[in-house]
Amino acid sequence: MDVIGIDIFGIVSFLFNIFKSNMLNIPLLKPLIDFLMGIPILNLIVALVLWRPFFGVVILPGLTGLMLYLLWIVYFERKLAARVQWRVGPIEVARPLRGAIQALADGIRYFFQEVIVHREAHTPYFVQLPILSFIPILLPLAFIPAGAVVGIRTPYALPLTVAFISLIPIFVIAIGWASNSRFAFIGSMREAFMYFAYEIPFVLAAISMVYVYGSGDLYVAVEKQTIPGILLNPLAFIVYLIVMLMATSRLPFEIPEADQEIAFGPFVEYSGILFGLVMVLAYEKLYLMSLLFVILFLGGWSGVEIPLLGDLVAPLVLFIKAVVVISILVIVRAVYARYRLDQAIRFGWSNLFGLSVASLIFGIMVGWLM
Amino acid sequence: MKLARVEVKRAESLKRHTIAIAEAFIQALKPLRITIEYPRERRKYPDTFRGFIVFNPERCISCFRCAQICPANAIQMSVYKRAYPGIDYSKCIFCHFCVDSCPTGALSSSKVHDVAFKNMDEMFVKANQMTSLPKLHREDEVTVEYEIEKGVLKLKKEKIREDLSLPAILPAVKAKKVVCVDPESCIGCKLCVQVCPHEAREALVFEKDENKIKIVIDKCFGCGLCVRVCPMNVLRLEVVK
Amino acid sequence: MGKTDYYDEYEIQVHLEPWSELESLFIPIPSKYVEEIYRSEDFLVLVGPQHPGSGHMRLIVRLHGDIIKEVIPDPGYVHRGMEKLAENRTYIQNIPLVERPAIMDAPNYNLGYVRAIEDALEIDVPERAKYLRTILAELGRIGTHLYDAAILAIFLGHSTGFMYPFAIRELICEAFVRMTGARVTTSFIIPGGVRKDVPENVLKFVYDATFEIERRLKPFERIFIHNPTVFARLRNVGTLSKEDAIRYGLVGPFLRASGVEYDVRKVEPYEVYDRLDWDIVVADECDSYYRFLVRVNEVSQSLKIIRQCIKDIPEGRVISEQISENGKEIRGELFDKLANVVLPKGEYTTLTEAARGSLIYTLVSDGESNLPYRLRIVTPGWLYLRGFMESLKGGRLADLQAIYGSFGYFPPEADR
Repeated sequence: MDVIGIDIFGIVSFLFNIFKSNMLNIPLLKPLIDFLMGIPILNLIVALVLWRPFFGVVILPGLTGLMLYLLWIVYFERKLAARVQWRVGPIEVARPLRGAIQALADGIRYFFQEVIVHREAHTPYFVQLPILSFIPILLPLAFIPAGAVVGIRTPYALPLTVAFISLIPIFVIAIGWASNSRFAFIGSMREAFMYFAYEIPFVLAAISMVYVYGSGDLYVAVEKQTIPGILLNPLAFIVYLIVMLMATSRLPFEIPEADQEIAFGPFVEYSGILFGLVMVLAYEKLYLMSLLFVILFLGGWSGVEIPLLGDLVAPLVLFIKAVVVISILVIVRAVYARYRLDQAIRFGWSNLFGLSVASLIFGIMVGWLM
Repeated sequence: MKLARVEVKRAESLKRHTIAIAEAFIQALKPLRITIEYPRERRKYPDTFRGFIVFNPERCISCFRCAQICPANAIQMSVYKRAYPGIDYSKCIFCHFCVDSCPTGALSSSKVHDVAFKNMDEMFVKANQMTSLPKLHREDEVTVEYEIEKGVLKLKKEKIREDLSLPAILPAVKAKKVVCVDPESCIGCKLCVQVCPHEAREALVFEKDENKIKIVIDKCFGCGLCVRVCPMNVLRLEVVK
Repeated sequence: MGKTDYYDEYEIQVHLEPWSELESLFIPIPSKYVEEIYRSEDFLVLVGPQHPGSGHMRLIVRLHGDIIKEVIPDPGYVHRGMEKLAENRTYIQNIPLVERPAIMDAPNYNLGYVRAIEDALEIDVPERAKYLRTILAELGRIGTHLYDAAILAIFLGHSTGFMYPFAIRELICEAFVRMTGARVTTSFIIPGGVRKDVPENVLKFVYDATFEIERRLKPFERIFIHNPTVFARLRNVGTLSKEDAIRYGLVGPFLRASGVEYDVRKVEPYEVYDRLDWDIVVADECDSYYRFLVRVNEVSQSLKIIRQCIKDIPEGRVISEQISENGKEIRGELFDKLANVVLPKGEYTTLTEAARGSLIYTLVSDGESNLPYRLRIVTPGWLYLRGFMESLKGGRLADLQAIYGSFGYFPPEADR
């Protein structure tokens, strides 16, 4: 079918062969996949979905996993906080499920709500930045491996992921600047201050783990964890845990968004779906950081063997571990009050920085011993 | 009692962090929750509860005491057979001074605390609407009561739909009728005759030749309006022997 | 026709320079002061009246960097003219009115006012009624302290610290509703006693509830009071020395937190406070954390008082013989006995220890009318406003919320 001088069949079959050569191996679903592969157009789609790079970035632990996680964590955080606080939490949406689809309902509401762009806002950036902020969220997902499933395999996965995660606050600051409002400005300034306080301990903690495993390749990190990373470098573990709270502005470091002081800080002017996008930004960052956390400290995807599921086990294990870590972590919302900005920065530059330097030295020693 | 100075060193601080986080986990596992899921569960209120006011026209003597004591000016008397009170629930503050003022027990309380109105005009509840409880759309199937057993608060749940009316207990007040304590001072202004309610009109008779008021005690039902209006303060309400 | 032409056509000559009087309507400070601030390196930050952190009140904050140099309050957003309203109502009708300033503190406000009437009429209150009034007043005090603790917690972003006191407060509301029939504005104390006798089983419930409150305060203590983040936010913040506290006329727990041992309940005892065994809680540290801690400890003192009251309460009438023959309840007689009370000519002042401090009522009667000639209410909120403003100086802007919460400043109470 040579219509416009391009061999469409040729391209399609070329792509199909690429997809087919690198497909997930799932013994449980093999008969079904074999059947679907026999149907002409459907086989292309099946091959694409099961193509390992595509599966890693778009399905698990990538975009679909991220969405599932968001639906779960927004509901679970509210429910857990409510339980600690002697309340019931969201319950009226889908009452038989005890309000389980609350996050979905909120999302739908945000979607149909009017997006108000106020007159003072720098309109192009104000509208574009929440959408552009998905770039540093999605790019690291291409480098985070889960067993055989990986977007782009590179020995520099860890530095690249850390670098992309460090990009996210710049978007938050830009959002605050584009909002052109006092509260948003103060909020973005606070975000900037906090950024410097936690970023160096974060990078140092990650580097100390590079020294422990002797490589920035996350495959090597997982392979070397016959003893989990927590025990190999507990100092780095503590630093990373606190940095996770600081970086995603959870309490007690919920300083950039302090609702009682500056009314949700950089995001104060947003409404509708744009607010929905910026609100989940911190959750998405938390997801990325905890994926990295699981790989570095909790043995990654190793540990569970289910022969029937084949290659699917690794992404599933990684995803579940990350979600469990976050689900435990969100309890701090019910435990702490908010620190003052100067206290948080002092903590970041003194205690946390000192601890991270100690973890780096400890990591070098452990790496030398191994 | 002087409070001691608290010094929180680093070790103490870490201990307190641990205690706070541990407490959160304990509460997450076994919360001390006392929530009553209101529209589906209804809290049981005591019999002394001050709620929607129920009116019994047969006992009412049109004495205007409720309207005059009302601190929020929520009660208006409107004339049916006699003057009966109507309550404006946009103003009512549920102090129940009116209930406590009613000498015959015509007004009494109920456990209804959740009446919704469609508009402002409806909030003025007239006497004929007050004779029974308002129609409620009730979703509750369970009645919950707070109970403390051995120093531990428990929610006692019963699967019954509670009756919200309260028994009308009559106040322990003896009936009173008007007497003229100082007939000499009567100036014959006839104000008392004018305010005397329709049915008891003949209780106070103005005797032209003496220019004085004569009380027909059988006709009087002791509303006391004449007592309140008398400029010379010669009328009193006294217990009938 | 362009846009500018349209405007030209309808142009009105307006005096563009705002008058200085007009300016002062918007910011209640002299325009010269504003100009001076803008010429210097300082900032003028207006917090409120609809700020998520504050109540209905504006704080005009002069900032040097992040440090507060001066704060000028702009209260009055919830002024309801309570004193003027009181002049148009009879003495008994004012009872629900005077309870309105403070949410949970209704019995204390009610008590102070009723005691002024009783002073004037020289009514002796029966013993049982005095005990019941003390129980109600202390329940109100606990309720207010819990309410303030909750507001402090939410100012610091601690939502658990907000929910726990409100859940505990539910027990106070339950005690109120069983004793008086209303959850918040009880209107239960009347001249000569209380409106109704409280049965024994209800007193038993209140007694048990004190232990339940104590039990539930323990998780609150572990998760909020001893929380290091709360400690860091409140300790050494908003310090007012003992001398300053006296000079600026602080009252109540805030004065006691600065080391002054003064409590109206001890100095001029009313009801049965002189017969009970309890302590004044004092602290020397003078900062926000101790202002909070003093009130936390006062809650346990109040629980102690309530328990003693319920143990000691005698049988008998609850309404004085001077008011009613039926000593057990006022029902049926409220109007006849109390509606047309006329106080003898004179001025009657009572001092009450409300939850947030000294509460002053002054009733002026002309001796003829059944309406008060004048009712003066000086609420604790209004009295400690000055000290609150002084304690903000030298703090950071983020401390404003913490100090605000530590004072439990309640605009409706101060504005009346």
